[in-house]
Amino acid sequence: MDASHLSIREINSLFTKKELKPSELYSKVFENAANSEAALHAHLTLFEEENIKKAAESDKRFSNDESASLLDGIPIAIKDNINIKNYKTTCSSKMLSNYTSPYDATVIEKLKEQNALFTGKTNLDEFAMGSSTENSAFGLTKNPWNTDYVPGGSSGGSSASVGARSSIAALGSDTGGSIRQPASFCGLVGFKPTYGTVSRFGLVAFASSLDQIGPITKTVDDARIIFSSISGEDSRDATSVINNQLDLPSDNTATIGVIKELMEDGISDEAKNEVNKVIEILKSKGYKVKEISIPIIKLSISIYYLIAPAECSANLARFDGVRYGLRVDGNTSYEMMENTRAEGFGSEVKRRILLGTYALSAGYYDEYYGKALQARKEMIDEFAKSFKDVDYLISPTTPTQAFKSGEKTNNPLEMYMSDLCTIPANLAGLPAISIPTGLSKDELPLGVQVMSRPLSDNSLLDFSEIIENEVQFDGQPKGWL
Amino acid sequence: MSDEFNIKNIAKLASINLSEEEQDSLSNDLSIILEHVNALSDLKLNSQQQEIFIHPLEKELELQDDEVVESLTHDEAISNAPESKDGKFVVPPSME
Repeated sequence: MDASHLSIREINSLFTKKELKPSELYSKVFENAANSEAALHAHLTLFEEENIKKAAESDKRFSNDESASLLDGIPIAIKDNINIKNYKTTCSSKMLSNYTSPYDATVIEKLKEQNALFTGKTNLDEFAMGSSTENSAFGLTKNPWNTDYVPGGSSGGSSASVGARSSIAALGSDTGGSIRQPASFCGLVGFKPTYGTVSRFGLVAFASSLDQIGPITKTVDDARIIFSSISGEDSRDATSVINNQLDLPSDNTATIGVIKELMEDGISDEAKNEVNKVIEILKSKGYKVKEISIPIIKLSISIYYLIAPAECSANLARFDGVRYGLRVDGNTSYEMMENTRAEGFGSEVKRRILLGTYALSAGYYDEYYGKALQARKEMIDEFAKSFKDVDYLISPTTPTQAFKSGEKTNNPLEMYMSDLCTIPANLAGLPAISIPTGLSKDELPLGVQVMSRPLSDNSLLDFSEIIENEVQFDGQPKGWL
Repeated sequence: MSDEFNIKNIAKLASINLSEEEQDSLSNDLSIILEHVNALSDLKLNSQQQEIFIHPLEKELELQDDEVVESLTHDEAISNAPESKDGKFVVPPSME
């Protein structure tokens, strides 16, 4: 039996019954990595040697019946914009190619306390800016289902790794869909928790009012286990919130809203069909389903591409060749900074910094950034109004299946449009999940997205698990396992 | 909204030394993106008078108490510096 296909709870049960050792599973995921990394390039660094001792310690705990954690001995891949002490954190940027983190992110501290094992750091679009993992300074990641296609992004390395079973689960970060979109493209579950429930301390900042860390997993239950392990208020992140969860019904007393604007033009028939399939199942189970209109969703891309670049231009001002990262010489400090940033950042990062700088510059602030903030507030209010009528909102996760490598690299706006369905949850701070539901005619995965009101993450996961059990998607990429 | 876009000026503000070629291609990309985001200018807002929060859950951000807490050591803080001397960051002159 190949345990790398199993869920976290199933693996833990085998560990507890002493039918499988953590070190055996650890060897298996590295065997899978050896079979897939050359073709997929999911990881930037692999930690095999360093963690053999830790896997043996997990073995000992289970052997002595001393383990108390579901994540003990579970190999987890970490997106390379999350700091692990004494390891490189490159953000897939030339700017940070030699940066070694002097501290652990809060989520890493929490996973270490649970005795999880780290497989390595995964590839991403530079500083998490992108939707295909083609913006990495260290090479492309490919989709494990078909290597002609992108794995999505920006957490494409994390999703390719879980897809190829070179890890059991992974952490990603989601600013406009960067967990959910690659999870959908790779046939996995991707969960973006409510903004503030998971500490951002130690996550390299892109757009601080939108960024959120979350899991990419094979099952909804795996996402639940990781979310409960990494969430919690943190004094080192001023935006973190007390995780007081609301209880929503997940059984057929719940009402489901289908977002009209995300079932119209610009969404492929295949993506719509997956939503309709789930709706039919829910109706047959007795759930009440209604159409909900949130017209401002049509402006999501415009709002997002003012707010996210504005925050990015401020956050990435720290990369100036002085305290860390790349330095390119110049005659003065200013020249040195300009040369360093010219050499260290790739095209997409420059594009967003310049866009944000413009949106925040004197004379344009009110008409661009100010207006976007007001529109965002309007969107938050519109969602709150919808949640008076329905418990959950459903839509496609992505407008289409995965696209081919190189297909959108010369057209930034078209690339941005691939996040149309996922961006609203970031703007409104909502919990949102992508659940794999089927395959396209090209045999590539498709998913549906479910959103709910802030701080109803646990109910959202319960409801998503019902969909998962009803749909019974059991597809797996072939060739790596 | 304005369609003026002086790429040299913006690059100077962002401290990025762009090549001529990059100026052309980025200028072109940004014009297309700005044209798209200009859709916002037609939006009639209901919430114009409302207070805007940066936190999407509308949480008021609080200042921390002024207490000493464990943090990076001096050596750790400077460990990634491109150039340092006597525990300080070394940079080229700021004035010619």
